[in-house]
Amino acid sequence: MIRKQVTRQALDAWVDGLIAAGRVVGAQKKGGRYAFDDLRRAADLCLDYDVTILPPKKYFLPPKEDILRFSDGRYESVSDAAPFTLLGVHPYDMAAIAQMDKLFAQDNRDEHYLARREQATVVVCDIERMSPNIFAASVGTATAADGCDALITRVGRAYVIESHTAKGERLLAGLAGAPDADAVTLARREQLWEDNARLMSRRELRVEPRRLPRLLEDAYDHPVWEEKASQCFACGSCNLVCPTCYCFDVQDDVEWDPSRGVRRRVWDGCMLTDFATVAGKHNFRKNRADRYRHRYYRKGKYVPEKIGDFSCVGCGRCVSACVARIADPVEVYNRIAEVQ
Amino acid sequence: MCGGAGKPEAKDIYRPEPATLARSEGLTAHERWFEVKLDSGRPLGHMPGQFVEISVPGIGEAPISVSSAPGRNGAFELVVRNVGNVTRALHGLPAGARIGVRGPFGTSFPVDGAMRGRDVLFICGGIGLVPVRSAIQYVLDHRPDYGAVTILFGTRSPSDRLFTDETAKWAGTRGVTYMETVDRGDAGWTGKVGVITTLMPDLKIDPARTVAVVCGPPIMYKFVIIELHKMKVADENIFVSLERNMKCGVGKCGHCQINGLYVCRKGPVFRYADVNDVREAV
Amino acid sequence: MGKPRVAIFDFACCEGCQLQIVNLEEEILGLLQVIEPVEWREAMSDKSETCDIALIEGSITRAEDAERVKRIRARAGVVVALGACATMGGVNKLKNNFDLHDVKTCVYGEAADMPHLDTMPAMAVSEVIPVDFAVPGCPMSKTEFTCIVRCLALGKTPVIPTFPVCVECKRNENVCRYEYNEVCLGTVTRAGCGAKCPTAGGWCFGCRGLVDDPNVNAARDVMEQYGKTMADLDDRLALFNSKRE
Repeated sequence: MIRKQVTRQALDAWVDGLIAAGRVVGAQKKGGRYAFDDLRRAADLCLDYDVTILPPKKYFLPPKEDILRFSDGRYESVSDAAPFTLLGVHPYDMAAIAQMDKLFAQDNRDEHYLARREQATVVVCDIERMSPNIFAASVGTATAADGCDALITRVGRAYVIESHTAKGERLLAGLAGAPDADAVTLARREQLWEDNARLMSRRELRVEPRRLPRLLEDAYDHPVWEEKASQCFACGSCNLVCPTCYCFDVQDDVEWDPSRGVRRRVWDGCMLTDFATVAGKHNFRKNRADRYRHRYYRKGKYVPEKIGDFSCVGCGRCVSACVARIADPVEVYNRIAEVQ
Repeated sequence: MCGGAGKPEAKDIYRPEPATLARSEGLTAHERWFEVKLDSGRPLGHMPGQFVEISVPGIGEAPISVSSAPGRNGAFELVVRNVGNVTRALHGLPAGARIGVRGPFGTSFPVDGAMRGRDVLFICGGIGLVPVRSAIQYVLDHRPDYGAVTILFGTRSPSDRLFTDETAKWAGTRGVTYMETVDRGDAGWTGKVGVITTLMPDLKIDPARTVAVVCGPPIMYKFVIIELHKMKVADENIFVSLERNMKCGVGKCGHCQINGLYVCRKGPVFRYADVNDVREAV
Repeated sequence: MGKPRVAIFDFACCEGCQLQIVNLEEEILGLLQVIEPVEWREAMSDKSETCDIALIEGSITRAEDAERVKRIRARAGVVVALGACATMGGVNKLKNNFDLHDVKTCVYGEAADMPHLDTMPAMAVSEVIPVDFAVPGCPMSKTEFTCIVRCLALGKTPVIPTFPVCVECKRNENVCRYEYNEVCLGTVTRAGCGAKCPTAGGWCFGCRGLVDDPNVNAARDVMEQYGKTMADLDDRLALFNSKRE
């Protein structure tokens, strides 16, 4: 493991070096909020962002991607997977990526997702600033960064950069001349982790996530579903900004020569009206409340039963994205826990 | 190529393999029968009840049940109701047309498991006969392995009945009881009129020896299961094939979920005892 | 199968949707690979007795227009309504909110009673004749139009989204207009435009009409949460979604 301690200036120089050597994406300002985008220079990189509008899943499962090309009745796979560095992912988003890795590798390997994932070097940065709706500390994702290749933590005016994998080590090659992190700084980092793990929540989930699958079993007819869903636009915003939502739709598009075209997959959402509609027009989840409940069951029960992880990582994006202000997992799960 | 350098694209779970529509024939005003051959010449390798994803280039992809028993010849059969873009396009394709196939996917009727050595009761509504036909053919192909065979088939009208030559043959087969009914008869209809459950009270079955296989429109299951319960058939011995929007077929896209169950992987055939408390199932 | 013979007709509108076709520029060559235009006032002088596909823009606001659109229906195989005016009446329906005579007097003054200015409440094409397909939007989107034409040429029913604009806005990673405290109609408006207006920094005008199952009550209820009134919402809805009946 390489563990360096650098100033912001040295960090920027290192990042500029990475940008000169290949594609680097990081959080940048966008319309008063933040978004991951290609970095042109280190100065644009915000390591002190609160939360990005979309999670970094868009680099592994893009909102729109061509998966096949066909001509004259034959299909071939397409992929734009190429090496890149994803710089400054918050721990809760890393937790989400780790879940997606399991889901896309489980049972049937999704080579489109996995090829992009394999090409990525992911650098996590510890959270410096809380977003308005974060509750990561409440679900244990405020600090743990399992699965990342390297980790950046700001300690006072210094940054500790440490490699976790061989990929991470290669990335840190440009820091060879920087001093190793000193004991005092590392001790302060430990303290920061302890604080973040405790404090990075605006709201508190009053139920242990591992108890949710059982609690939800008895909550199918809870009034909260109808109550919240009556205000639901079925706009799917909560799905689309969620770092662990991965449902997709598949569509064909042809060129002007109709024997040639592409098969495309696009982000979909289980809250959308026709998500469970079949070709004969029968909609198996017609009611808003059924769809609303489905989403919370996926996060709290279905996905946990599939991969063992609570599928809400506490980023709070859904809370912010919901115009009707009904998409708060903390509120919903606390309500479920109350009556039990 | 998918998977980056060195990754064979054969691993892409979304890539259809080339196939050809060998023959086709209209069955009713809305349903058409197809015989499909994989260009590789390999057999599909399915079991009764499984489905495939059929691609028509430029139009899209749709999940379709395999309607023939495995191993009858190198090809496999589909019956397609014209209800959407892909199925409409299929109806318009001539013999020899190129299509894409992925699969087979999903679970199958337990022809080599729970059904073996037992009496079998098939209950099919409308195109519910399509996947079940595969199991019926399999059972008849391996006749000594099963007890009494009963087939109930209900459709909306006489002209909606599928495979009338084949059902007539079943009706004339020793050891097979075949009964059919229509919701509404027409001028020439002399058979039974009424929904499929009206055939059930007259059945003489031994519930302890019977395995029931049920497939039909969404509304049908509830009522058929009530009748089966009256006949004392246990939930362990009821198998249902459930239709959902199996878009990707490989447990990823999420469209086919019945609560937590991905129908494309855990279904479409379920033992009813496993889904009788799953709220979205029937 | 030969290329479908296509005719384009206009009724009460700004002809902006036809202009979108002209604006296809080099893509027109692609378009001509799959269709054969037989009548198109804005671009050619030929006329045709029959056609396989009639593309109709504009809303129906006069009795003689209603008769004309019925004649078009009779000689066309497939009728496609182009744009907000044809698919739902569009901004022309604003006048349906008022007394027709007042509207005419306001616009034409003393000449309001001249017979050639006779008008009736604006109607979508589908309120007068059966319409097979609709291309929503003001103006209609070029991408969606070409996609729909390719679908029709292939015999495929085009997929028009049943979900709201928010979906495309999120896919584009836009900051929600409500975060800027603006009233945006994206929550109840049919997607398919690629969330063009919010992506360009504006709010959604609702030009593609409401989704099939819009939660307008929720849209009203949230006004208060953002310090707005129901009138703020209704004013915005009125532009494309007033008096829809």
